[in-house]
Amino acid sequence: MKTLTTWVRHNRTVLIVLAIFLALYMMAASGMESSEWMITTVRSFSVGALIFLVASGFSIILGLMDVLNFAHGEMYMLGAFIGWTAYVRPDTIVDVLTPVLLIGGAFFLMPIWRILLQRLNLSDVLKRLWPVIVLLLGAALLVYGLAHYPIGRWSFDIPNDLPSSWSLRTDISYAGPFIPPVVASFEGISPLLGLGSLVLGSLFLSIAVSGFEARRPQPHLTSQKIPIQGLTAGILLMVLGLVLFAVNTPLSEWLYTLSTTLRFLISLVIATATGFILGSFIEAALIRPLYARPVYQLMITLGLAFITIELARAVWGYAEFQSPRPALFASTGEGCPAESLGGWLANSCSTITLLGGRMRSYNEVFIILMGLLVLGGVWLLLQRSRVGMIIRAGVQDREMVEALGINVRRVFNFVFALGVALAALGGALAGPALGLSISMGTTVLLSALIALAIGGLTSFPGAAAGSVLVALLQQFITKYGQLGINLPFLADPVKPSPPLVPASTVTLMVIILLVLPQGLFGRKE
Amino acid sequence: MSDNLLEVKDIHTFIGQFHILEGVTISVPQGSITALLGRNGAGKTTTLKSILGLTPPRSGSITLSGELLNGLRSFEIAALGIGYVPEHRAIFRDLSVEENLRIAERRKGDLARKADFIFGLFPDLKRLYKLNGNKLSGGQQQMLAIARALVPDNKLLLIDEPSEGLAPVLIEQMMEAIRQLSAETTVLLVEQNFIVASRLAEHYVIIEEGQSVKSGRIASLVNDKDTIQRYLGAA
Repeated sequence: MKTLTTWVRHNRTVLIVLAIFLALYMMAASGMESSEWMITTVRSFSVGALIFLVASGFSIILGLMDVLNFAHGEMYMLGAFIGWTAYVRPDTIVDVLTPVLLIGGAFFLMPIWRILLQRLNLSDVLKRLWPVIVLLLGAALLVYGLAHYPIGRWSFDIPNDLPSSWSLRTDISYAGPFIPPVVASFEGISPLLGLGSLVLGSLFLSIAVSGFEARRPQPHLTSQKIPIQGLTAGILLMVLGLVLFAVNTPLSEWLYTLSTTLRFLISLVIATATGFILGSFIEAALIRPLYARPVYQLMITLGLAFITIELARAVWGYAEFQSPRPALFASTGEGCPAESLGGWLANSCSTITLLGGRMRSYNEVFIILMGLLVLGGVWLLLQRSRVGMIIRAGVQDREMVEALGINVRRVFNFVFALGVALAALGGALAGPALGLSISMGTTVLLSALIALAIGGLTSFPGAAAGSVLVALLQQFITKYGQLGINLPFLADPVKPSPPLVPASTVTLMVIILLVLPQGLFGRKE
Repeated sequence: MSDNLLEVKDIHTFIGQFHILEGVTISVPQGSITALLGRNGAGKTTTLKSILGLTPPRSGSITLSGELLNGLRSFEIAALGIGYVPEHRAIFRDLSVEENLRIAERRKGDLARKADFIFGLFPDLKRLYKLNGNKLSGGQQQMLAIARALVPDNKLLLIDEPSEGLAPVLIEQMMEAIRQLSAETTVLLVEQNFIVASRLAEHYVIIEEGQSVKSGRIASLVNDKDTIQRYLGAA
């Protein structure tokens, strides 16, 4: 009993703030019908789940590594577009995989170059010169190979090839002719020459990078053992890339015959995996060299955000499009709207009557389920696994973790990759619910930052609570924008205009930070 | 070669622009306790951190049983068998006592193997096993910080100011623990309290303004009131 009173006293402010929220939330019910209130609440949780996917990664990265990753929102955007592509145009992903696997596999071979280079005795001038030459050679070979390699390109001039036309074809209602995907073959040059230049180019690239590394002073104790695991992984990846090229067309055609639900799930996996690999690469290549200079790190992530936006524009164009709903969430036919979750699964309904209101099965059920899944998964990872233990310890005292003999850098890389993967998953999930646009990343990052400021910057439960709070506020203000609020002494109901949505969340953040500078769940310094 | 476990030869360490260590030379003989003495800000803690590579020295050499440590990253140095007990009882406050010990495992089963030894030294920790680090008292946190360094097989323990801010009763208990564990491992101890240091250690090194100025057997220092007065500012 005594512990309870002290607990209440210590968390008095938090409890008061939460009580005010609860009161406001209850008051919000008085202005609308209870079913609408319920739907708006559930909708908020769905939007909150998407914000949480961005906010959680951002907060773990910030907490452990002190890196403010301003490109995190753009990773969400990129995840959405990559997920959309994998879903609507799986043939493109198959096309892209070959070069990506070749280059990626070559980089797994780097430890071997490193060992071979150590045995090489060169004059200083030569040591400085050759990596540049090899790099240029590799880049030239890659450009040559890729220029002739037909990655199912989308023409913005031909209506049939527009990204939005392709998403129409995935719609189950589409009955038009099926246009077979572009057959992968090298244009104008023999495949052997094309593939050869890709393989050689990627090998040269990785050798050049090892050469640049070797110019820096090396610790004398690097092991001379050839890392068998890296070697096999690298060779396997490169072979897989070549095999994929050989089976490109049948694989693409097979993917097009799959149900949209299955294709959508595959696209989620692809988006998440791409995010993970991309995150790992960004940390190793851009963030790692700058740990001693945090300001530069900040500017790198900002620059990365802008570059990502422009890249996405160059590849996908300016179009804002809706990703079609997978078949499981699309039917409006017999037995719909479903009366229960079972009815939905049986009839693949797009809407379900739950809690007295009509919920969209994708937006309000699937996304929330995925959000809960990630929440639970990451929580388990943090609390139950060794990596999680190291992360929690590292958030508090990185130096000490390192002094225990743990390679913190490797954990950093994993955490960054995990954070980007979660954001990419969020983006891919958002596609069919909120649609895709180039600006979606910036918008969600703003919401996520506000959510984190409210919840406590580096607190995982804070990220979840903050995301839901921000989403609740956004959704209820939007809803009241339609209904109008009856205020005393005023004849007409007040209708908050849509621009008030971002303003209201920022106001909420300011108020909470004034009362609780650490946020709801942040640690007092 | 000498039978010294750790040889630090003329290291110079910079933190930012500041030249903190201006030539520190230390020999730590195998199987004994060596005390690093000196005033506040003399560079004792920086010396420990330099050995571990947390603040890597710019010049000079550090060898652990003949193996050169320069250029290695901290985690590689620690993995060679150095345990670190930092000052201010830097345990992980968000982790339970169990997790604080488990995180120090270098191989699976380290903790299980050492549990009897650790709980023999610090019986309190067994009782507090599931408690969060932030619920422990100052003395218990210090015990945990030392216990954490005992989990893996370490050749050398670097212990920074273990008696700082502890009640006299706890200092006695802690000294007894260090004496017992020094039967198994070599210890390099930073200690402000000369009485504690002289009762524990066999050898000493005095650091003054970033330089090692005097070293030898601590027994000969106890009666050397001049040196104590001059470098340690206490009798």
